[in-house]
Amino acid sequence: MIELILQSLYSGLLSGGSYALIALGLALVFGTMKIINLAHGEMVLLAAYMAYLMESKLTLSPILAIPLALVVSCLVAVAIYFLLSRISKNRELNSLILTFGIGIILTNAILIIWSADIHSTSSPGFQEPVVLGPLFSMRSELGFFGVSIVLVAALWWWLSRSWYGRALRAVSSNRDAAKLMGINPHRTEVVSFVVAGILASFAGVALYCTSVIQPSLGSSLTSKAFIITVLAGIGSIPGVLVGAILIGIAEAMTVTLYSSALQELTSMVLFLLVLFVLPNGLFGAAGRRG
Amino acid sequence: MKQRTQIVILLVALYVVLPFLLKGNTYVMSILVASLTIAGVALAWALLGNLGGMVSFGHAAFFGVGSYISAIVTMKLGVPIFAAILMGGFGATIASIAVLPALRLSGPYFALAILAYAHIFKILATEFTSVTGGAGGLLGIPPLPTLLGFNFGSKLGAYLVIITIILVFAFIYARIRGSYYGFALRAMHESEDATRVVGVNSTLLKALMLFLSAFMTGVVGAFNAHYINFLEPDYAFHIGWTMLPLVAAIFGGYRTLSGPLIGAVVVYTVDQLVFKSLIPSGHQIMLGVLLGIIILFAPDGLIPLLKKTVRRVRQTGKCRPPQTDATC
Repeated sequence: MIELILQSLYSGLLSGGSYALIALGLALVFGTMKIINLAHGEMVLLAAYMAYLMESKLTLSPILAIPLALVVSCLVAVAIYFLLSRISKNRELNSLILTFGIGIILTNAILIIWSADIHSTSSPGFQEPVVLGPLFSMRSELGFFGVSIVLVAALWWWLSRSWYGRALRAVSSNRDAAKLMGINPHRTEVVSFVVAGILASFAGVALYCTSVIQPSLGSSLTSKAFIITVLAGIGSIPGVLVGAILIGIAEAMTVTLYSSALQELTSMVLFLLVLFVLPNGLFGAAGRRG
Repeated sequence: MKQRTQIVILLVALYVVLPFLLKGNTYVMSILVASLTIAGVALAWALLGNLGGMVSFGHAAFFGVGSYISAIVTMKLGVPIFAAILMGGFGATIASIAVLPALRLSGPYFALAILAYAHIFKILATEFTSVTGGAGGLLGIPPLPTLLGFNFGSKLGAYLVIITIILVFAFIYARIRGSYYGFALRAMHESEDATRVVGVNSTLLKALMLFLSAFMTGVVGAFNAHYINFLEPDYAFHIGWTMLPLVAAIFGGYRTLSGPLIGAVVVYTVDQLVFKSLIPSGHQIMLGVLLGIIILFAPDGLIPLLKKTVRRVRQTGKCRPPQTDATC
């Protein structure tokens, strides 16, 4: 029993790491622009399909799809930003509805192009087991976790230390003052969407290497990413990692101790609990949200 | 007086002329009934959105709960069907009590919290196998009955039932909007804090709107269960029951009464007849495009846009003849 629990803690940790990478782009845009991009999961999924395209059509390693995925995701991200910036009134709710619509478009575009079939990687190298004492995992899971940690660290550094990161935080805290300091708010916001696209493309390729993809996955990726963002608290990048690992472990424990059917229920209940009890999330700055 | 004659003409058209014209065409009738089902949910969605000021991504939850409760009480307890449909509505209201804590949340947070509820209800419906039949679903749900020698189980009967449900709901909606409460709710959009200060219990009002919206959605869901005689969790709680009404209400203009209804009939019919034949799988892509276009170019929806255009055309029309007249 102890071994089983240790193993599920370990698997939860690894899948939590992958959730963090999926959530990172959404958390960035939400934290800096107060826009919930409901098409984020679809962007990740689109990148995953680029990896599938690379593997099935060119019989190359899906990892080589990263440049292609980068181009596609960033183009989509910039297009979303361009559309969002044209909203004239009630920006908060209309941006939500607009990105919901973009999500519908992307999901159905994927459905039209690649049909509703389930796909997963055919390279056996990704599924090779890695044994760490009593703990088992797939090679690709460890890779996903590693990439995720590196990108969380990179994003944290970029946001807190680099010029653009600082500019972005300045625009988000006071747009007019930032303008007076010589920052072009539009340009910094485009940059934040592009960075979200970059994160989504890495997440998508890694997703394809570790698990199965299908067109309807996008919306559940979005809701998972949003749950993690709420759990973390707005604007906290390390919080995303911690929140994602919490979700991952809670799900793995539910599967081990109860049933796999309740896996999704766990994250939903956790989400509602955090919204009601800790509306600022685990690491969010104080401030009224509800 | 003029308004009263308009209503009489509308009623005659809906209850006599339209059924008489379309009675023979089963296909058109079935599309009409399905579009009116969407219209009912769209109206309930718009009630919450317009009066309550809350955009919901989770109306599928109330739709599913209503349909399951009505199906179960007729199948297991033998409750008469029209009573069961009402019970479905009350069941959805009871389910919405669980959503009450979410009222503390504003705007986007409420919208997404209620999405989480829809997921939870769906999982519960799948897992409570003994009551709901689990993922296999419920087969052979009794159809709408024959009353006073008229078979409501036919397409025509179903049409008459759903149009009555919608008209009653629209009447209730209009009465609330015109009442003191409607005034208070409208004031709440401007500033919730200010409304509280003058003594309006805004949380109570929002909760009442949530209950009413859930009730309406539940009744429509219950009607649908007896109309198609089959339920499974993936169908009853399908995201489409949120998405189509949302697109329809926003397309028509969710701040108006007729907008969601006309929007639903137009969007559903065009989706089924045009988009589906153009793009057999993935035709919902057009709904996404439609939603984007409306939000970007006419965020108030189509009906207000048309009204505005008509007014402008009329004004310019009036102006044109006496162009030399300075008083114009």
